Amino acid sequence: MNPLSVPDEIYRVAWGDLVYIKENFIEVLLTGLVGPLLYLIAFGFGIGSSMPGGSSQYVEFILPGIVALTTLSCTFSTVAMRVLVQRLFYMSFDELLLCPVHISSVILGKTLSGVVRSLISCTVLMVAGHLISPGVTIHPLVFVIIIIASWTFSMFGLLASLLTRKTQNLSLFTSIIIVPMTFLCGTLFDVSDLPAAASYIIYALPLTHVSELMRSLMLDGTFPLDSFLVLLLYSALFFSLCYYRIRMQKQ
Amino acid sequence: MDGIVEVKDLVVRFGDFTAVDGISFDVRKGEIFGFLGPNGAGKTTTIRTITTIQKSTSGSVRIDGFDTHSDYLDARSRIGIAQQHISLDNDLTVRQNLKHHAMLHKIPKDRIPSRIEEAGAIMELGQFMDHKVQDLSGGWKRKASIVASIIHEPSVLFLDEPTAGLDTRSRHMLWDLVRALNRNGTTIFLTTHYIEEAESLCDRVAIINHGRIIALGTVPELLDLVGSVTVETTDPEGRSITHFFRDRASAKEFASGMEDGFFNIRRTNLEDVFLELTGGRKGELA
Repeated sequence: MNPLSVPDEIYRVAWGDLVYIKENFIEVLLTGLVGPLLYLIAFGFGIGSSMPGGSSQYVEFILPGIVALTTLSCTFSTVAMRVLVQRLFYMSFDELLLCPVHISSVILGKTLSGVVRSLISCTVLMVAGHLISPGVTIHPLVFVIIIIASWTFSMFGLLASLLTRKTQNLSLFTSIIIVPMTFLCGTLFDVSDLPAAASYIIYALPLTHVSELMRSLMLDGTFPLDSFLVLLLYSALFFSLCYYRIRMQKQ
Repeated sequence: MDGIVEVKDLVVRFGDFTAVDGISFDVRKGEIFGFLGPNGAGKTTTIRTITTIQKSTSGSVRIDGFDTHSDYLDARSRIGIAQQHISLDNDLTVRQNLKHHAMLHKIPKDRIPSRIEEAGAIMELGQFMDHKVQDLSGGWKRKASIVASIIHEPSVLFLDEPTAGLDTRSRHMLWDLVRALNRNGTTIFLTTHYIEEAESLCDRVAIINHGRIIALGTVPELLDLVGSVTVETTDPEGRSITHFFRDRASAKEFASGMEDGFFNIRRTNLEDVFLELTGGRKGELA
């Protein structure tokens, strides 16, 4: 396999989904931003105003967490649902597997739309956050983390859609994994305040490390290498599981 | 003629259930090959396995000399498939779907627009090219799906129940398309429920039942398996019984003692063979 052919194949696979984003840009933007903005308003200005440091200090704290959360909320369910529909109802996912493209390109191509959605939403959110709270800086490395985190959660969404036999089953992933991660992974509070036993579990989850990376880069300008490595590990894990699942399905 | 599809000892199991039970056959280059069988006989599983969508339990498949396991990219580049289900993206237009298929099959960028027009013209898709697939009727969706399957000019085109749900005019238009593609050198592998479709289109036909191929040959060869002349009679409960004969003279001799109006002598057709071999009708081989 020629490595130079991979980006081209990824684009070919992703083209249909990217056209959908382009033609439905407002809808994509709104659906990606409403949730994070509600978190920002409800938690940042609502709960934050009753905190000792006031809302501006809390907004500064939770904004990186909400950006981290956006890399999950913009990717997992949209990729999972779209691929599930393409797999079970349109049958176009089967058709894709018939085309002369590598499995790696299928995985990265089907998840690219999630990355694009997430990148758009996170950028808007960070710009808005910077205007609200100038203490939040937009470090260039943040974009690298957004891309890797979005790809990781998109691949998790792809994996969920490959393991699911009906749309209702997808809510099981959301209820058992996504919702707990949303609230527990240091997006809205500092996980170091948790009891030791709970923090072991929380630190085993990928979103915790995305929150750590975002907060460190946007507030302190530091780069927690251990969290970055854990994120890469999850990325490799989800990629391998998707690869294995697709490979198992066909020859 | 050379074998462009070579299937050898193919087995597909789902748990304890054996969907395809050790079948072997070749599809010759340039022919229209029909694959008939009752519901649940293993037709779709076979086609999905040959086209690399479904994993086999054992056995091998070669497409144009390429093993679908070890050389799957080369094998796939020679395959086009129109599945039973409409496998297009409903959120995109017909043109966008065709472009996406062309891109996935690595057709050169500058060739894609003309190829879309050429392929679309075959099924008279012109007026619907810029309609979203979700806005099309079932018949037009199927036509668009078939056009997508030939956009890359495959060596072998697999058509899984291609005329299901089409009106008579569209069905005949599709038959003409199949013949035209075949004349241009495309080998066609066709599964169908419409036996007259197989009889009219196919050079050779395989009949599969319970995952096994129970007959394979040209239509005259299959007719000879049961007898080329049929006498239809009715039993006291009013059920139709068919009696098969090698020639008309034997059939007439058989019917000579019967009252007029209680029997019918006619040429055996593929449906008779199909029903006889798959146990779908009570018949007697004379």
